[in-house]
Amino acid sequence: MIHGVGGHILWVNLTKGSIEKRPLDEDMIKDYLLGAGYLSRMLFDNIPKGIDPLSDKNVLGIATGLLTGSMFPQASRHVVAGLSPLTDIWGESHAAGFWGAELKFAGYDAVVFTGASSNPVYLNIKDDDVELLDAEAAGVWGKDVFETDDILKAKHGRKCKTLAIGQAGENLVRFAAVMNDRDRASARSGLGAVMGSKKIKGVSVKGTGKLDVADPKNYLKQIDVFHKRMMENPFTPGRIKYGTTSLVELMQHIGRLPSYNMKQGVFDGYEKIGGDAINQKYLVKARADFSCLQRCGRYTAVRTGPYAFEGGAPEFETQSSMGSRCGNDNIESVLFGHHLSNQYGMDTISLGATISWAMEAWDEGLLTAEDTGGIDLSWGNHETIVNLTRMIALREGFGDVLAEGSARAAQKIGRGTEKFVMTVKKQEIAGQEPRAQKSMGLAAVTAARGADHLYSFPVLDEAGFDDDIRKRFGEEYLPEMTERLNPKYKGIMVKECEDYMVMVESVGLCKYGTQIPPEFYYDDVALALKIHNGLDFTREELQIIGERIVNLNRLFNARLGITREDDCLPDRLTKEKAPLGPSAGEVVEIDMMLDEYYTERGWDLKTGLPHKETLKRLGLSKDA
Amino acid sequence: MGNIKQWDVETDPTENRTLTELKFVIGDPRICSGCMTCSNTCSMHYFKVISPERARNRVVRIEPALDFPLFCRNCEDAPCITACPEKALMRTSKGVVIVNNRKCVGHGECVTACQYYAIRIHPDTGKAFKCIQCDECIKRCPADAIWMTTESELSKRDKDGSMMDLYEQHTKEIYDKEDSL
Repeated sequence: MIHGVGGHILWVNLTKGSIEKRPLDEDMIKDYLLGAGYLSRMLFDNIPKGIDPLSDKNVLGIATGLLTGSMFPQASRHVVAGLSPLTDIWGESHAAGFWGAELKFAGYDAVVFTGASSNPVYLNIKDDDVELLDAEAAGVWGKDVFETDDILKAKHGRKCKTLAIGQAGENLVRFAAVMNDRDRASARSGLGAVMGSKKIKGVSVKGTGKLDVADPKNYLKQIDVFHKRMMENPFTPGRIKYGTTSLVELMQHIGRLPSYNMKQGVFDGYEKIGGDAINQKYLVKARADFSCLQRCGRYTAVRTGPYAFEGGAPEFETQSSMGSRCGNDNIESVLFGHHLSNQYGMDTISLGATISWAMEAWDEGLLTAEDTGGIDLSWGNHETIVNLTRMIALREGFGDVLAEGSARAAQKIGRGTEKFVMTVKKQEIAGQEPRAQKSMGLAAVTAARGADHLYSFPVLDEAGFDDDIRKRFGEEYLPEMTERLNPKYKGIMVKECEDYMVMVESVGLCKYGTQIPPEFYYDDVALALKIHNGLDFTREELQIIGERIVNLNRLFNARLGITREDDCLPDRLTKEKAPLGPSAGEVVEIDMMLDEYYTERGWDLKTGLPHKETLKRLGLSKDA
Repeated sequence: MGNIKQWDVETDPTENRTLTELKFVIGDPRICSGCMTCSNTCSMHYFKVISPERARNRVVRIEPALDFPLFCRNCEDAPCITACPEKALMRTSKGVVIVNNRKCVGHGECVTACQYYAIRIHPDTGKAFKCIQCDECIKRCPADAIWMTTESELSKRDKDGSMMDLYEQHTKEIYDKEDSL
């Protein structure tokens, strides 16, 4: 028996309107844990090859991790996964909040949606009572994320937690987010559009149950040790004070702040959109998610003017994507733009990156007012950025073109605008200018969901974690591995970090605390799994599970035709030298790093696909 | 010192009594981050599970930007004590209102009587339960948002009354018993 979990998975067939409660597959947990790993296996087995991600054949899973709802620091996360309508390959996205813990208290660890409903519905869970309800009759279809939360709480009780799509998901915007607890976003991969295509508006849940942990006698004692370590970590006060907002200043400092559609990694107006600017005038409060000690969540307010709002915002990624990336130093528009994206339910990274693609095309004279319906796309035009945010979510005018994401929009417009598309596998690269940190470039190409900094999250070479590198890798790779501009050993680092991070995402923990700062590592997670779930895993076993998940994600994509050829960055980043700032003159030496990465993974250098022996070692032979 | 609360000396005749202020736990909704560590600590400490429904306190999140950590206010007149037909509630020598589990049969009269929804019926035991000022949550609060107080300490700490005003303004939401079991 596994302790500390809900114990069941809800399988919801939206075509038939039927709901089935299946017990957790304990054997699968031994091989894949829960969360991202469990869904990787389940969706590999259930999503047929060659389907349209927005058809009823797609399967959407939402799962908590083994430790979600536990008292381990930042144990608040769930994952949403399916075939991505943005990339047409493996899609996954993660968010914190309270929804995941609440699902567990109701007695479930995951919800899986198959088929598609003919009319808009939502799922309401109150412990054992689970039902699909009419979303139009409830008045939530067509509503934004905040309105939906308000309406569902009024209907099902103030204490219920909601997960929902906004208009962007309903309108099948290819980078629509799945939102929860109002301002938490499973944003990447466009899985909000999959919910929209299935006509499932959201899931409201109220759980009055309990998590019975494996070692109640020693639980608090051990949790106290974890808490003390987290609170005493030198990174924690800064995280509480700034959240991720001060990364603007740090990134500017190392030339890694994507600006003007990633033409450069420095931005003159960085201070205006940085962490101090936000703290001085707009920060209302630092807010936490379930069991979160670091509370990086920001709650801000713009009190007057056209961008007045109050709510959860922003993250560094938005300051970058809707700020520097668009040449925009108007912080109020950035905060408001983030707020609007939450309201409509969109990924701010793909949103800002798609707008910045259009701005560069405009700047180059390749897009004109005729294309945009008269909208001026000059760099830094914050009114345009805010207007387009609305227009994209509602698919109005030129917003309808941009709602397809930058890769598809460029394909439609043509005229050479394709070369300004900053994507990997059709997903926009996040706010990590890779010419200033080579590991980030490699991470973006190897990530299973297309361009992504989080699948590997190789931050160890970012800011003085030399001792942690020494601890994790030994002396062998020093000093090169610690040097962010040095491509050497980054393949080894990215591989190690991927294995670790997908494992972390399978137990429902946050990357803050497990990777930056790297306070906790395999042994700590193993101990938490023991006292909370009663599961015995060694560090080596957890690492192998991580490796197995990465390889299975690769096989999922290989089945859809992905090979080494697709593991590439835009030419700008590999051929054009960074023009300005501390990393001027740099390009990403992607081939060299990829060779090292594939070798380390046991993947073929030519195809980029796992060798037979690798799959055999991981128990995946039958899946190739 | 006209505001000092004192407990009814007759409820605990065995103890030596001095004029002591009643204590209670209070939290600042502007500082509380809403992380639930207090509730999780409580349900784990007392009932060996993680479950906000089984915590002696509650945390209520209200937009905009407020998180209320809610505890028994240890009222001087303690309507919960007088409401109990079984006489299952009493004050300890330290002035803490406690439930005698042997006497409590879970009528819920105390729940109805409490204007703060600070006493509830435990879903497993069927008996009333509430905060008993043990300090376990206070020492673990990562935001230092909760503390043991008295009326006079509170009036010093919340000089302009702005914190307690928030409690007043949101009475309806934070003390709503819609979810009482």
